[in-house]
Amino acid sequence: MTTTDIAPDSVAVTSEQNQTFVERLVTNTSNSSIGKSWIFSGCIYFLLSTVLGFLLDIVRFDSDSYLIFSNVDKFFQFWSLHRTSIVLLAVVPMIIGLAMCVVPPQIGANSIIFPRAAAFGFWVWFLGSGITVFGFLADGGFGSPELDSQREAVALTLVGLLLVIAGICVSVICLLTTIISGRCMGMNLRRIPVFSWTIMVSGTLWILTLPVLAANSIIAYVDLRGRSAIYFGSEDVIWDQISWVFTHPQIYVFVLPLIGIAYDIVPVAVKVRQKLYNHDLVLIFSSLFGIIGFGAYAQPFFDTPGTPVREEALYVLTAFLAVPLALLLFGGLFETLRMGSKNLTRHPPAPLILSLLSIFLLISGAVVGALRAIEPFELLSTSSNTAQMKLTIGAGLVAIIAAMLWWGGLIVGKTAKQGFGLISGILITAGSLLSGLADSVNGFLGLDDFTTVGFLQEVSAEQIVKILIAFSFIGSVLILGGAVALILVELLRFKNGPVSELDPWEGHTLEWTDEIVMVESERPLLDEVGKTGT
Amino acid sequence: MSNTVLPPAESRPRTLVTGAVLGSITSVMFFAGLFAIYFSMRADANAWGSEWFPEGAIQLVPGGMNMATLSLSVVTMAWAVRSVSNNDRIHAYLALGLTALLGVAVINQTVFYLNDIGLPVDYSKATTLLFTIVGAHMTMLGIGVIWNLLLLIRAFGGQDTRRHQDLVSALSFYWYAGVAVYSIIWIGIYIAK
Repeated sequence: MTTTDIAPDSVAVTSEQNQTFVERLVTNTSNSSIGKSWIFSGCIYFLLSTVLGFLLDIVRFDSDSYLIFSNVDKFFQFWSLHRTSIVLLAVVPMIIGLAMCVVPPQIGANSIIFPRAAAFGFWVWFLGSGITVFGFLADGGFGSPELDSQREAVALTLVGLLLVIAGICVSVICLLTTIISGRCMGMNLRRIPVFSWTIMVSGTLWILTLPVLAANSIIAYVDLRGRSAIYFGSEDVIWDQISWVFTHPQIYVFVLPLIGIAYDIVPVAVKVRQKLYNHDLVLIFSSLFGIIGFGAYAQPFFDTPGTPVREEALYVLTAFLAVPLALLLFGGLFETLRMGSKNLTRHPPAPLILSLLSIFLLISGAVVGALRAIEPFELLSTSSNTAQMKLTIGAGLVAIIAAMLWWGGLIVGKTAKQGFGLISGILITAGSLLSGLADSVNGFLGLDDFTTVGFLQEVSAEQIVKILIAFSFIGSVLILGGAVALILVELLRFKNGPVSELDPWEGHTLEWTDEIVMVESERPLLDEVGKTGT
Repeated sequence: MSNTVLPPAESRPRTLVTGAVLGSITSVMFFAGLFAIYFSMRADANAWGSEWFPEGAIQLVPGGMNMATLSLSVVTMAWAVRSVSNNDRIHAYLALGLTALLGVAVINQTVFYLNDIGLPVDYSKATTLLFTIVGAHMTMLGIGVIWNLLLLIRAFGGQDTRRHQDLVSALSFYWYAGVAVYSIIWIGIYIAK
């Protein structure tokens, strides 16, 4: 058989140049473009989620204002939308976007493997996210306590959630395949930069747990669709079946990459090289942290009578293990900081500060999670749930801002204003801490996780609860301020940002070079410096 | 954004097979979630002494026939992989065609059985779970059959050769995962009822 190579079709090239913005957006399969689409969409949903969180906290602060949501059922629907959107429509998409842009160059791959599938994954998620939000707006959501929602809209929301899960899983499979099969020569698994490693660990856990959430959703859908629900599709229990995703231990899995972000930023920012055994320990500890975050088994809705899963040894043990693991990871960063303290200037880089703050928030979340697991405190269904989620997800958000300030130049090609980015991260940290700690203490005082208006009016009589709810409200305002600041930082970067240098931080890993580098360690660019003596 | 141009790995793992294995793991975890709910609810029903399925509703013969058919398809799928790696097109046609046929047979028998069972989806928690699990497995098998037929068309075009063996290997992982899931359905639902 004869194979003939023909020159590219000039007509096709011309038509590609004549494509509109939308055509280019939809047909583009470069990892950078897909990653930017994930990040942009995630940012928008983050802003919407924080606005929603702010409105929900207004109702908690002033129970008479529940009319913002017209009735208690609507209040519940938007309360569950807030939880769903901040995790599955904001934090996870932004992390996937960062990974799409950073992981391939970091491990020496030219692009993501299965680029069309990666683009497909994004568009499926995008469609699903729209359907989910529309389902909520159409009076559906994940049901309501007083069965006042529209059944067809509930079914629509479940379809949206299934698409969201499918999109995330397809994209994660592309990322994992790139890490497993697309690494350059010399880049063995021990030499993978920590961010790529944590993406591998968390991605694996996402594809192990999100399909279980899909199973919950599809059973509810089958039971709900077109007939009276027997059990699973009953509107007052749908949220109970899927809420395990937004609490301990599963919540840790969604923010695991923040460890990688911090460990890739801190050593470069303080200009020291971590010792190899430290690198190995970080890989082990971050993997352990991921493993204890596997939460598909912890579904209280399916508890066998008499043996609640949240009182079982495994659940309690993982809650307690999260604290020392988070502290050990913080200790590793602290040691690196100590080694490089002489290299720090009076104004350390914003991503360095935000990385440390994110780990601090993670520790706080883990401590609240451990307290929740102590049975005599009876915190499992109290506002401690909200507290742990706010602290943990806040940690993830602050790490994402750090990552955007660190790798944003590579992703967008322009530099952001570090000061504004720092302010955004500090606002979110302060807001998460204030709100999280207030909700945590309120948990001890018996405030429920989902507080109906009547209950709020009852407990608000207690002065201390009311004061703490006010603190939580101020925290929400700060988080909203941080979200707005983040959007402004990124808009300013797009509009007026100066063109970024190729390697502004003098990085240690492959994403910071476009030269051919032999990979002989976990920080190959430092090897080159060592060899040339420069 | 910079594009790092580095030498490729000496023996890069097979990307298609890696992707298919990860996809299969995702599918298996989906079924693991469904099975966990099924077995948990059944254990509760047994503990309370309530009826799970009505007497005689679940028959062993259709499930057993499906298991036998799928077990045969494991052999034909392995045959297809072997044929493609040996550049044996005639055997590849036969093996892929037979695997697809066996898949269609299982779907056909399952549809017949679900119609014959005489219980609506909303009869009880058990029937809701049964229809969901079996229906989801039929979808998984249907995707496998379509993938199989696409590879068969490629084989007719002479494209399924040793150089493109990964496509068939990837399908085989997915297919084996589907059969493994069915074996749980067979043991856990049809036999243990």
